[in-house]
Amino acid sequence: MKYVEQELISVPVGKGRVNALYYRALNNDSDKRKTVVIHVHGFLGNFLDGSQRFLPPLLAKAGYSSISINTRMANFGLFFGFGIVDETIPQIDGVVRYLGEIGYERIIVSGYSLGGGVVLRYLSVKSRQPDSDELGLLKGVIALATPYSIPDSIRRRWNKWESQPSYDEVYEEAKTILGDNPHDSKQDRTILIFKARGNSYQPEHTEIYTYKTWWFLAGPEATAVKSYKQIENIKLPILLIQGWNDTFVKPGETHNLAQIAINNGNEDVSAYYLNTGHNLDGKEDEMGDIIVRWLDRRFV
Amino acid sequence: MVTEQKSLLTYKTEDGFEVNSLLVTPAFASEEDLYESPIIINLYGVLGHFLTRGTPVRLPPLLKEKNISTLSVNTRMAFMGQIMGEGTFPDTIHEMKESVNILQKEGFRNIYMLGYSLGANMTAYYASQTGSFGIKGLILEGCSYSLPYSQQRRLERNRSIPSYEAIYLKAREVLGPNPEKKKNDQVFIVYRAWGDSFNPVDAEMFTYRTWWFMRGPHAYYAKTCEIIKDVEIPVLFIHGVDDDIVDVWEPRELKNIMNQAGNEDVTLHYIQGAKHDCVENPKDSIDAITGWISKVNAKT
Repeated sequence: MKYVEQELISVPVGKGRVNALYYRALNNDSDKRKTVVIHVHGFLGNFLDGSQRFLPPLLAKAGYSSISINTRMANFGLFFGFGIVDETIPQIDGVVRYLGEIGYERIIVSGYSLGGGVVLRYLSVKSRQPDSDELGLLKGVIALATPYSIPDSIRRRWNKWESQPSYDEVYEEAKTILGDNPHDSKQDRTILIFKARGNSYQPEHTEIYTYKTWWFLAGPEATAVKSYKQIENIKLPILLIQGWNDTFVKPGETHNLAQIAINNGNEDVSAYYLNTGHNLDGKEDEMGDIIVRWLDRRFV
Repeated sequence: MVTEQKSLLTYKTEDGFEVNSLLVTPAFASEEDLYESPIIINLYGVLGHFLTRGTPVRLPPLLKEKNISTLSVNTRMAFMGQIMGEGTFPDTIHEMKESVNILQKEGFRNIYMLGYSLGANMTAYYASQTGSFGIKGLILEGCSYSLPYSQQRRLERNRSIPSYEAIYLKAREVLGPNPEKKKNDQVFIVYRAWGDSFNPVDAEMFTYRTWWFMRGPHAYYAKTCEIIKDVEIPVLFIHGVDDDIVDVWEPRELKNIMNQAGNEDVTLHYIQGAKHDCVENPKDSIDAITGWISKVNAKT
């Protein structure tokens, strides 16, 4: 039995467009029909891979529609200077408005890894905009394999492998190149970090940024993706999931994020661990079950 | 009645690469009409994929209006393939072969290939090495005479850092005597590759291996001028008269090489009012393509 229709769509946002893969669940359960999940990709990702690809069919089988979107951070956005985290906010806003226009009443925002940081930032910003059109539609957040703080996580990793150049060297260079106003700086440059993800010069252990994209994602002043600072503002239901054997995000990071949300008055925070790594490989179905149960209990 | 469709297809090549492609077909009175109508396999330029602005994203809907289907294929060179190391030019033959196989199995009988920019060199390579297996004709848009020669001239003109010669020497050092063996590799940046600045927009990135097989002086299969003599099917070159990346003489010389090798069925059409992307003049481009396909179909 066919349970999902997949459609490649392009949502107009400002002067640009957000490309997305829309999975419409073909069920007759009218309660679920009003709920949709937005998925945001991880580091260099897009809607053709990872959880953005494997989760939507699992959710559709349970009756939930999804939309996997490519933000400005997708693919090589970090390499050419346009992948700035806060500039994804109007993009997600545009997708939320579009989903509202086509009839959805409950929107859950979900992100994987870097995408988890993006969606926590998004909901934190929206929580401080009580008059925004989108806020009434937003009902929950799912953060998968999400670091406690993306800048701290990157710094720790680079220091561990003795990256070339080092984190501190890149910071000093970035300050010199970008000047006093990094966001509006006309100067920028693409940079390579060798030994950023392992002890070799091979491509899989190399990271690429521009000084500007590094500044707003990995630099010590990149507050937007210090998720512990963002999650304290979110009062919507939160679901956190990570792999117990994740080598990028330590198990304590999810625990600490959950604790901060609870300490700041959020009464609906759930955290789950799966016996897998950062990519959640081999546990896709189990994760799908957790998410479906979490959705069923809150939004049906 | 066969309704129009826009579907994402996923399939594997014989060496295990997962291909994502976008199938766009118009409505037809019957399946027989659909399979008898022309279908074009589209391939893209540097870092391109089926959502890239310009020809990749605009051509399929324009051709659909003319009752021509398209299969837009993301090869291993799509997105960041050339930057992260998996995008080796000669290996793309697997994606092209498998895409032809998929369409033939589905029942399509009039299959063409269209390559834009780097994609043009890829499709010429496919046709020259496979005896044009499964395809009736080639459409080469903005086709460079030789990818290595083209980059060498560009880097010299922009006084790139490092120079073409310096890249070659370093590539030999990193890759050793057998570059085809996947042992050592490394990402590198060429500053001032596309223009006279250090800004990201003027930078180019490769690994030494992807560069070796696509832009290096020994990248035989990327030297279209060397291999195009072996293409014996009808070929249409379309080329913007104002192309600022590939000179207007380049397709003319390629046509001459083919004619001298005995292929008289080669058409060169310059598109007025277009630069590298011929679809800047959509009417002229579509008229050139549809008119040429009608002629080829009428002959066979």
